[in-house]
Amino acid sequence: MIGRRLALAAALAAAAAAAPGCSPEREGGVVLWHTYTNGERAALEQLAEEWNRDHPDRGLTLVAVPYDAFADKLTSAIPNGNGPDLFIYAHDRIGAWVDARLIEPVEFWVDDELADRFDRGALLPLAYEGSLWGLPLGTKSLALFYRTDLVATPPRTTDELLALAPAARAADRYALAYANTELYGHAPWLFGYGGAVFDDAGELDLATAEAAAAGAFARTLVADGVVPADASVQLVATLFNEGKAAMALSGPWFIGDIADGVPWQVTTMPVVSATGEVAAPFLSAEGVLMSARARDKEAAFAVMDHLTSDGAAIVRARRAQQVVANRAAYLEPDIGDDPVLSTFRAQSAHTVPMPASPTMRAVWRPYMIALQEILRGADPGDALRGVEHEVRTGP
Amino acid sequence: MTRADSIAPRAATAAPRHRAQLRDWAVATALALIVASAAFFVHRNREFREREEHRAHAAAVAVARGEPPVSPVDAAGVVSPATPSPRYPFLRQRTFQPVGEAAPRALGGPCAPALDKLVYDAATRFDATGPFKGFLPDGSGRVVAAVAAPGTPGGVAVAVSTPPSGPEPYPWLTFVGLIGLGGVIAAAGALLGAWRRPTLLALGASGLAVPTLFWTGPWPAAIIVGLTTLVATASARGATDRWAEALRAHRVALAFLAPAAIAMAILVATPFIAGLVLGFYDHDAGSWTFVGLDNFGHILSGGGKGFDDPGNFWFVLGVTVAWTAVNVVLHVALGVALALLLRQPWLRGKGVFRMLLILPWAIPNYITALIWKGMFQSQDGAINSLLDYAGLGGDVSWFSSWSTAFTANVVTNTWLGFPFMMVVALGALESIPRDLYEAAEVDGASPLQRFWHVTLPHLRPALGPAVVLGSIWTFNMFNVIFLVSRGEPGGSTDILVTQAYRWAFERDEYGMAAAYATLIFLILLLWTVFGTKVTRKEGTP
Repeated sequence: MIGRRLALAAALAAAAAAAPGCSPEREGGVVLWHTYTNGERAALEQLAEEWNRDHPDRGLTLVAVPYDAFADKLTSAIPNGNGPDLFIYAHDRIGAWVDARLIEPVEFWVDDELADRFDRGALLPLAYEGSLWGLPLGTKSLALFYRTDLVATPPRTTDELLALAPAARAADRYALAYANTELYGHAPWLFGYGGAVFDDAGELDLATAEAAAAGAFARTLVADGVVPADASVQLVATLFNEGKAAMALSGPWFIGDIADGVPWQVTTMPVVSATGEVAAPFLSAEGVLMSARARDKEAAFAVMDHLTSDGAAIVRARRAQQVVANRAAYLEPDIGDDPVLSTFRAQSAHTVPMPASPTMRAVWRPYMIALQEILRGADPGDALRGVEHEVRTGP
Repeated sequence: MTRADSIAPRAATAAPRHRAQLRDWAVATALALIVASAAFFVHRNREFREREEHRAHAAAVAVARGEPPVSPVDAAGVVSPATPSPRYPFLRQRTFQPVGEAAPRALGGPCAPALDKLVYDAATRFDATGPFKGFLPDGSGRVVAAVAAPGTPGGVAVAVSTPPSGPEPYPWLTFVGLIGLGGVIAAAGALLGAWRRPTLLALGASGLAVPTLFWTGPWPAAIIVGLTTLVATASARGATDRWAEALRAHRVALAFLAPAAIAMAILVATPFIAGLVLGFYDHDAGSWTFVGLDNFGHILSGGGKGFDDPGNFWFVLGVTVAWTAVNVVLHVALGVALALLLRQPWLRGKGVFRMLLILPWAIPNYITALIWKGMFQSQDGAINSLLDYAGLGGDVSWFSSWSTAFTANVVTNTWLGFPFMMVVALGALESIPRDLYEAAEVDGASPLQRFWHVTLPHLRPALGPAVVLGSIWTFNMFNVIFLVSRGEPGGSTDILVTQAYRWAFERDEYGMAAAYATLIFLILLLWTVFGTKVTRKEGTP
């Protein structure tokens, strides 16, 4: 990889072409790390080709890094100066990366006009502690997938969801499947019932009566046979594909897991009947972020600008079905009317951004254990107080 | 030195003694040079940082007073307080009044110069943390400093220094001079002989301690004097002669060993030592703080949790020991039983069976672990389907209770572990002479007696080390625990290594993880020493 980068840098230095637009201080390329595969990768490669055609002096090199190793590689490579100039990642690690001084604030280059490009909901998660840390590409959240052969009209409320259960059980299937022991999967109920992870001031606020009610509801779903117990993400896909689950809560990545020949559609989350609020899933905003050790920051920002431009967003939406952050992209008829994209975009208006604070990292696992206990019959209030205690005092 | 005096007369003839003196002096000097160079670099970097930070800070202070900067700067001036955009509070406008220019200019925008970004970020950092000075992370050696500018309400005086002239050069001349002088002193010692030989050797090599006194204080000097005295003492006692002789005698062997030894030092010893050291530090968002034995104290005290809490070290240790014991017993029992079966004369197709039985061992264990994980799945897993088919109730939620989750782990690991014991037992069985069985049969021993008094004693020497090895593998069997039960329910089936992993990669507490690893190492070290002793005792007929 380094060899390739060096060769590229050498070739560029030899070319020494005059730079159009904002002239860079130094010659050299921009290296971007990403975890994209399939359509998203193809779209990104197309955009990189466009960039390289117009800017031979500031070539963009894409490096695909496996998702599992991505965050660890960044934290070890950037401080040593071996990291990328740019990388693509969800916003939820920003807090930790800011604390560790791994990423560069970009508000210096951004004016209101540039910011107006994006859906507010996609841009705001990338702001942290009064600075902006990246430009958004798209958003990801859960929504309600359903098999059109098994569900005529998807439930609009949780009461309607519960009402679907007896018929489904009679047909030896579950009405719904979702990763119910993960906080990410449970989040729609949590926020739909008015619960929270942090309060408005950013303080931990886990053990509320509302959160306990959401836990009790999750247990009811299992106890009434609406959903399978301890369903993993893989199991949800299997059950949905085999017709053993009529509906599934999942995100845009789920589309690739649906088997050929399964008739499906996706719609927004139902309203929690007890509160009248939409079950709001977590929102993660995926953005292009800049390394604090980026070699040529102006060139790197120019690439960020290019990748998040309206034109680029249209390419990403068309080729990768990405729920892009750019408002103008949805003015294109084929994108604005795309049932999947418009559903996820509509859902994104009823979401809670995943907290970016480093404390959140300490919440996931204790919360998962608490959910397992709650589904097995533990008192939700006690279990959540346990989580709050553990997060506060450390494991 | 009176001690050296009494030992010196033991030394050999004159000519080799001179050569030995030169050799030992060279060794002592090399050690001293390493320490002195390290001291120099520490001194140089500190000096450099202080000088450069002072330069930028002084420039910023001058700008704050409305004076021209006192030292060369890339940029210096006063930044206005931030005006947030009404729509996006995190987009903030600032203006910059450079020193010596008529009008302020706006900072930022898509085509703004790179230097403005440094100034802008410095003002932002000042707003968050107050006055600061520090190197830019771009490796240019420039320092940015910010102080409050009393002239502008809420303003910040920022200075970015020019790239510095190079740091102090390596003191070649001083070192060469001191080494030359030391060589003369050591040579004089060799000529004078007796107690003067080692004394002047130490003195000659200690010359390098002198400049370090001016650089970093007494510690490096003390280390140099200590090392050279050590070498001189060894020299006086003839130890260095013996070492040199040994080196000469085994030089071919050592030359062959060297590549492997160097590789081991780099690939094994270095990370190991780094791991040991990390255990004494606390990690928080990329910064490390020395905390002494706090991590170990926290772990060994159970972190204030009850003994029945999966977060308590002693609970995890108990689970790990139970896990290891159950597994090894099953591995050995199953392995020996199958090995005995494979030796039965009536069995046809031994080769096929043997191959099939070794197969679980040949497949990468994480693949096996993932397959078993799928089979233990509660809705559609193979195990539950089988139980259902057999009418035993197919709705076991394997990972919801400790005993079933632990059982699932043990079953998986037994599948993975018995072939090794079987292969070891097969080999050992081959080496038992047939006539022993014939003799036992003639004496009227029953099959059980033959197993107990002939087979088992012969298996022990081979199985003993295999059990020690197998127990270490099982004790650290990360893949099975991590992939099959994932510690469920509630982390209670985690073993020590998976806990260490969680400390490092789920909680970012690398110090705690390193302390865990050190404790695991110590436990296994004890067990290896103890286990080897026990098996050796049993093994001797």
